[in-house]
Amino acid sequence: MATAGLARHAGEEIYARVRRDTARTLSHLAHDWSLSLAVALLGLLVLLAVFGPLIWKTATTVNIGNSLAAPSLAHPMGTDSVGRDVFARFNEGARISLSVGAIVVIVGALVGGTMGIVSGATGGWLDTVLMRIMDAILAFPPLILAMAVSVGLGAGLTSATLGITLTSLPYYARLLRSEVLRIRSLPFIEAAHALGARRLRILLRHIVPHVASTLLIQAAALFGYAILTLAALGFVGLGAQDPTPEWGTMITDGLQYFLTGQWWIGVFPGLGLLVVVTATNILADRARDILDPRGQYAYV
Amino acid sequence: MTRIVLDKLFGAGVAIFGASLLAFLFMRVVPGNPARLIVGPLATPQAITAQEHAMGLNKPLWVQYWRYISGIFSGNWGFAYSTGQTVKHEIVARLPASAELGFYAFVFAFLFAILFALVATYRRRRLVDAAIRGLSFIGLGTPPFWLGLLLLLLLSQIWGILPGPEGRLGPNTPPPPTVTHFYTFDALIAGQWGTFWNAIQHLVLPAITLGLAPFAYLVRLLRANLLDISRENFIVVVRSKGVGRWSAFVRHALPNAFLPTLTAAGLLLAQLLTGTVLVEEVFNWPGIGQFVVESILRQDYAVVQTFVLLSAIAYVVVNLLVDVLYGVIDPRVRLPVAR
Repeated sequence: MATAGLARHAGEEIYARVRRDTARTLSHLAHDWSLSLAVALLGLLVLLAVFGPLIWKTATTVNIGNSLAAPSLAHPMGTDSVGRDVFARFNEGARISLSVGAIVVIVGALVGGTMGIVSGATGGWLDTVLMRIMDAILAFPPLILAMAVSVGLGAGLTSATLGITLTSLPYYARLLRSEVLRIRSLPFIEAAHALGARRLRILLRHIVPHVASTLLIQAAALFGYAILTLAALGFVGLGAQDPTPEWGTMITDGLQYFLTGQWWIGVFPGLGLLVVVTATNILADRARDILDPRGQYAYV
Repeated sequence: MTRIVLDKLFGAGVAIFGASLLAFLFMRVVPGNPARLIVGPLATPQAITAQEHAMGLNKPLWVQYWRYISGIFSGNWGFAYSTGQTVKHEIVARLPASAELGFYAFVFAFLFAILFALVATYRRRRLVDAAIRGLSFIGLGTPPFWLGLLLLLLLSQIWGILPGPEGRLGPNTPPPPTVTHFYTFDALIAGQWGTFWNAIQHLVLPAITLGLAPFAYLVRLLRANLLDISRENFIVVVRSKGVGRWSAFVRHALPNAFLPTLTAAGLLLAQLLTGTVLVEEVFNWPGIGQFVVESILRQDYAVVQTFVLLSAIAYVVVNLLVDVLYGVIDPRVRLPVAR
């Protein structure tokens, strides 16, 4: 009986909290036109990525008879050098970029974040070794490292994703480590110690919840980096390979047609990149303003 | 103080060692036999073995690593088989092009960032500030290789104001006599105004393309710091003593807000000078970046290893210099951190 009452109480509390947070988020949106613009544009691209390939079913197969057609009603973004519809490829490209960005950010935040938390919480030789590895990765030019991994595993989307994730690890690990060190020295941790809490409990119940927002903001800040680097790898031929409609690869496709007048092949994918990265950067920036105005995050 | 400096020096050494080890191992793990790539697909097994012996590939890994590191420091950087020249020759020939482009991109980014950040903070919450903030967001979000193509399309192809992707000079302009290896400076020294103008015209688009993201980054950083500092009490005091708003900003807030920007600018300069892969591709710029990409694609060990080690050294050294400079500029940094 008592437990049921407790559970109902907890449920009400969570409900009230969600309602309060939603109201707060909406009021932030209503008062900030650049934030609402970013959310709207990003939402549009997510919709295109999810539903675009289902609705816009114009063939992306080779159709030489219809190559290099200018944008029209039948092909809103024109067709490329072998007659594939650029709009259909653009939608699939949005799918690829957004999902690779999400994978890189989630895996990077989990692995890099864990490394940083462990490093800060344990100290000692493990801390030293982990941080030296992170320093070495940082001293490596990031694009070159991603390219080297890509070549090593054979150029393709998977190896590019892995390479980009690797280059992003130090940004999480170093930030989280310094956050853990800062929080560890605060009085409430000492109080928990004095009350007899074990180290693992303190780490999981008191330190990790405090660094969660930091991790979230850093992940948002690195989302754009992941997408831009993927496109850069595709552009030099080390990311997704040709029939895959990745935005960077599509820009390379359009490279030679830029100077002969068929601008639409390369311009639209770049515009997609610009919108996604700018919008996520604005989101990350606002999240930082709201959640943690004093923190230091990566601008990469 | 000595203790801190020694710590930092040690850390720098370890970072360089780690980066070199990473580069070395990556190039060894990569599938494909470089000896086979060099002698060609039709070579006999004996020829391949001979080539492996010549390159030392049959030696244990640690011997190979030792050769690589000691070679770097004794000036023997190995042989770039894809071009048939020594790596040193190739890098020395290409570094000036990358450095000149990086230098101008940096100057553009740094000067405009200071100017724009000052204006944005001075006219806080107005249209100008909103415009500058928007510009900095777009600058960070634009893929540089795509921007380069777009600028070429508009300014070179459609309007014909600036030259296309021809490299450092037009096809009919011979390079000026070599003094500094920077074409713009050399042309000035030799008094060749035509060549100078031609070099500048070829630099404008790549420098803007390359400098836009660093510019956006520095604007955001400096703007945030300026806003923080301008809320401090000493600015109110300075203002109440009758100093004008603009000079309170430039003379008092700017120097105090400048340290983080200086740090970031130093690291950006190190990155820009050692060449940038993508922009050089687009503008056909004969620099290091383009060469390294080709070398990675051709699995040219020696080039990639050397380049990675050199840029790691540049990164770490600049980092150290910035740390030391920090101590000189801001005495508070010199104190040991109490925790």
